[in-house]
Amino acid sequence: MLPNLSVEDLIEQIKSNKVSPEEVTNHFVKKTALIDPKIKSCISTAFVKGKDGILNGIPFMVKDNMEVIGTKTTCASKILENYVSPYTATAVQKLLDAGGTVIAKTNMDEFAMGASTEYSSFFTTKNPWDLQRVPGGSSGGSASAVASGMVPFALGSDTGGSIRQPASFCGIVGYKPTYGLVSRYGLVAFASSLDQIGPLTKNVRDAGLIGNILIGKDPKDSTTVEKQIDLLKNIENSIEGFKMAIPKEFTKGLSDAVKNVLFDAIDNFKKMGVKVDEVSIPSLKYAVAVYYIIAPAEASSNLSRYDGIRYGLSIDGESVDDIYTKTKDEGFGREVKRRIMLGTFTLSATYYDAYFDKAQKVRSKIVDELKQIFNSYDAIIGPTTPGVAFKIGQLSSPLEYYLQDIYTIPANLAGSPAVSLPMGSINGLPIGLQIMSKRFEDEKVLRIGRNYEMIRGKFPLPEVVA
Amino acid sequence: MKTVIGLEIHAQLLTETKAFCTCEIDVNAKPNTNICPVCTGQPGALPVLNKKAVEFAIMAGLALNCEIHEISSFDRKNYFYPDLPKGYQITQYFHPIATEGYLNLDNGKHVRIRRIHIEEDAGKMVHSSENITESKESLIDFNRCGVPLIEIVTEPDMEKSEEAKEFMEKLRDILRTLGVCSGNMEEGALRCDANVSVVDDNGRSSSRVEVKNINSFRYVQYAIEYEAERISKALKDGKDVKHETRGWNFVTRTTVSLRSKEEENDYRYFPEPDLPILKVSKSQIENIKQNLPELPDQKSERYVKTYGLAKDNANIIAKDKIISAYFEKLVSSKMDPKDSSNWIVNDLLALFNADSVDFNPDKVPIESLKVLMEYTNSGKISRLSAKEILGEIYKNNNNPQDIIKEKNLIQVSDENSLVPVIKKVIENNPSVVEQYKKGKTSVVGFFVGNVMKETKGKADPKVVGDLAKKILDGEIK
Ligand SMILES: [Zn+2]
Repeated sequence: MLPNLSVEDLIEQIKSNKVSPEEVTNHFVKKTALIDPKIKSCISTAFVKGKDGILNGIPFMVKDNMEVIGTKTTCASKILENYVSPYTATAVQKLLDAGGTVIAKTNMDEFAMGASTEYSSFFTTKNPWDLQRVPGGSSGGSASAVASGMVPFALGSDTGGSIRQPASFCGIVGYKPTYGLVSRYGLVAFASSLDQIGPLTKNVRDAGLIGNILIGKDPKDSTTVEKQIDLLKNIENSIEGFKMAIPKEFTKGLSDAVKNVLFDAIDNFKKMGVKVDEVSIPSLKYAVAVYYIIAPAEASSNLSRYDGIRYGLSIDGESVDDIYTKTKDEGFGREVKRRIMLGTFTLSATYYDAYFDKAQKVRSKIVDELKQIFNSYDAIIGPTTPGVAFKIGQLSSPLEYYLQDIYTIPANLAGSPAVSLPMGSINGLPIGLQIMSKRFEDEKVLRIGRNYEMIRGKFPLPEVVA
Repeated sequence: MKTVIGLEIHAQLLTETKAFCTCEIDVNAKPNTNICPVCTGQPGALPVLNKKAVEFAIMAGLALNCEIHEISSFDRKNYFYPDLPKGYQITQYFHPIATEGYLNLDNGKHVRIRRIHIEEDAGKMVHSSENITESKESLIDFNRCGVPLIEIVTEPDMEKSEEAKEFMEKLRDILRTLGVCSGNMEEGALRCDANVSVVDDNGRSSSRVEVKNINSFRYVQYAIEYEAERISKALKDGKDVKHETRGWNFVTRTTVSLRSKEEENDYRYFPEPDLPILKVSKSQIENIKQNLPELPDQKSERYVKTYGLAKDNANIIAKDKIISAYFEKLVSSKMDPKDSSNWIVNDLLALFNADSVDFNPDKVPIESLKVLMEYTNSGKISRLSAKEILGEIYKNNNNPQDIIKEKNLIQVSDENSLVPVIKKVIENNPSVVEQYKKGKTSVVGFFVGNVMKETKGKADPKVVGDLAKKILDGEIK
C-alpha cells in the first residue's frame, strides 16, 4: 500500500511507528528497480542520504539537470554524459537537510528543451498510463516516476511548462513557484529568466509541504527574494467568493473532449461559490512566439560553456575552433542545436532590435495585461495542455510540438506561480487543470488547487505491472 | 596632419575576492588553486556581485568626475575562447555605472571620459609556442578568471602620444591614491588599448586603428607614435588604411595586424538574467564621495598654496600617496616644507629612480632623513656629506649618526682649524688673489672649493667663505 501514499501520509506512518524510515526508503528503491525498466524514468540511480528531519526515510528523485554532489548530472545530453557534479544544488540540499534521500536522477528532454522526453539523448520515458505514449516533458522522468509510484515526490524544473505539462500527462500535481522563490543555484541553466525548480507530487498538500522546504532566499542566487510564505497555513480555507478568469485565447480551438472536462471543472468551481468569467488577454497570442525568441537566446549563451575544454565531452581537433565544432556537433542533439542557432541569430547585432528587443517589449506587455486581470481576478484557470499525452513519435513538426506549451508559457514569462493538477480524464488518460495567479500568490494558487482537489474527489493512479 | 587618440583602459580592482564569487585573489597563488564552480563555469553555478567592486568603481568614477548612475545593469558579452569558461563575459554594456567624466592634463587639456563600467577578467593562457594557433599545447590558469575590472573609455580627445602617456600616468596615480588598483602595467593590472586615427590637412580622417597589448607607460607613447606615423605615411602615399585591430610588439617596436573589422566578433550582448539591476542610493554615493582621499591634483595644489612648494616638486610628491605621506610626516615633525620637498625630490627619490624601483620609506626612515636635515641646517655636516650619508643609509639602512662618526664627517667650522688651511690655499694662488684685489669678489668661491677639497668636504663652506673674505681683506692676520 506504501506506493500510493502521499508524502504527508508517509511522514505520519513513520511518526506513529507503523513503518520505519529505512523500510520506507527500501520499499521505494525496490519498487524503482522493479518498475523502472518498463517506464524508464531514471538516467542513473543514486543514494544520497540527508540529515535528520521531517523527510526522514522519504526518498525522492531529481531531474538530471540539478547538481547532486558525486552523482552524474547529464541533462540527458551526450555532452555531459560523464559529468560528475562537484557540488549540490541549493534546492536539493534543502531537501537533504530536511531528511530526504535522493535515489535517482531522472530522464528529461536534452537540456530541458522539449515536452516529451523524446529529445533525451539516451532514451524516451514511457507514460505509466499508456506505455505507447509520452509522459510529457521536459520533466517527464520525474513525473512518470511519481505517477508510477517509484517515489512519493520528485523535483522538476519549469521553463515553459516543463513541470506542469508532464504533471498533466501523468495525472499528478506539478507546481511551478513564483520566479525568485526557489534558488536556481545548481540547476543547469536553460533560460535563466524563466527557469524555476518545483515539486511533482501526488496531491496539492504535498506540493505545499515540499514547496515550503524549497522556498527561501539563497545568497548564491541573486534573483531569489526573501518572502514570508507558508503554503500550507491557509490551504484548507474555503475559496467561496473567489473570482476566476478563463482567457478566450485559451479556449479557442480546444477540442470538444477537453472543453467538456473544462466545463465540468467550471461547474465544480461554481458549486464552491466561485465566480468564473471569460476574459480576453489579447497579448497572450504572442506568448509562444515571445518565448521561442527569449528562451533560445538565453539558452544559446547558457550552453556556450560546453566547449570541450574543462569538462564533459571533448573531441580533439586541429585547432581550438576545430575542438569546439567537433565537440558541439557530436555532443548536442538536433533540438538543442536548433535552439542554439535560433538564439544566436536573434541576438546578433543585425537582428537584436527586430527580435530579442521586440520580444522583451512584448513580454512586458503580456506582464502588464496579466497584472490588469489579477487586479480583478484571484486566478486564471484553464487546461494545462491542449490535449492528453500524445503517442511517442506522433508530433513531428517543431511548430506543432512547440504549441504544447501554449497555456503554460505565460506563467514563465510573467514569473507567476502556477500549478497543474488532474482536472479529469479523456478516454482513460488524465488532463490537467492549470491555476495561475500573480507573483508571490503561491499560497492562493495551492489553496484553489486544494479546494478543487476536494470537490473533484480522489484521482486514481495508474496500475503499472512489472 | 593631426593624430586623434582615444584610450580604452582596463584596471584590475584590488578587492580581496573575485567579482562574482568568493574566491580569493592572490597573484602569487599556484595555478588553478583559487577557483570554484562559479569562476570555472560549472553547469548550474550563478554569479553573485561583489559589493566592494561596486564601491571601487564608484570611487574611480567620482575621482574622474563622472556622473554615477543610481541604476545600472549587467550584460553578457558572448564569445568563445578557452580562457573564458562561461563562453561569455559579464560586463556592463547597455547601462554602465558611470559616464561623462574627465581628467585634466598638465597642459590644461581636458580629456573627456565617456564611460566606466564593471566587468570580469578572463583566465590566463600559457602557450607552448608564440600563440594559440601555432601551439601544440596550451595551459589555462583560472586564478585570474573573475577578477573584477573597471573599463575606462575616453573620448578621442588626445592628439599627442605624450598626452596619452601622461593620461595613463595620471590615471595610475589616481587609482593608486584611491587604493583601488595597483596601477602596474607590466604585470597587467592596468592595461591600455589605444584607438588611433589621423586627420589630414583637408580634414579627411583615416579609419580608426585599435592598438592592443601595450604593457608599459613608455610603450603607450611609442606604440601610438609608431601607429600614427604608419597611418600618416599610408595617407601620404595614397594607400588605404584598414579599420583593424593591431598588436604592439615591444621587441620589434612595431604594430602588427591582429584582425580586420570583418573578423571582429559579434558579441551578441544581452542583459545578464542571473543578476538583478544594480541599484546604489544617492546617500551611498554621497558617503563614498565624502570618504574619498585627497587626489594628486588637489594635493599638489594644496602643497603649492599652503607650503609654497615649487609646482614641479609638489606634483612629484603629490602623485604618490606613500611619498606624500612621507613628506607630510616630515613637515608635521617641524621640518621646513620647502626644504623637505627639495630633499625628497632631489636627493631621496633620485636614489630610488637610479635603481628604477618604487619609493620605499623603510629604506630611509623619516627619522634618519630628519637627522640629516637638522645636522645640515645647523652646519654640523656639509650638504655634500649629507648626500653621501643618505646614499649610505639607502644602501645599508645604517643609522646616520653612526655613519657620521665612522666616517668622521662632522663639519669643521671652528676658526682655529680652518684659518691655517685657508691661508695656505690663498698663499698658493697669488694670481687669484690679484683678481680679488681688482674687485672680482666672486673668486672667493674658488678658494672655498679648494678648501673643501683639502678638508675632504668636511669644512662648512659658508664659514670658509666668510673667513676667506676676512683674510683677503686683511681683517684676519
Ligand atoms: Zn570562484
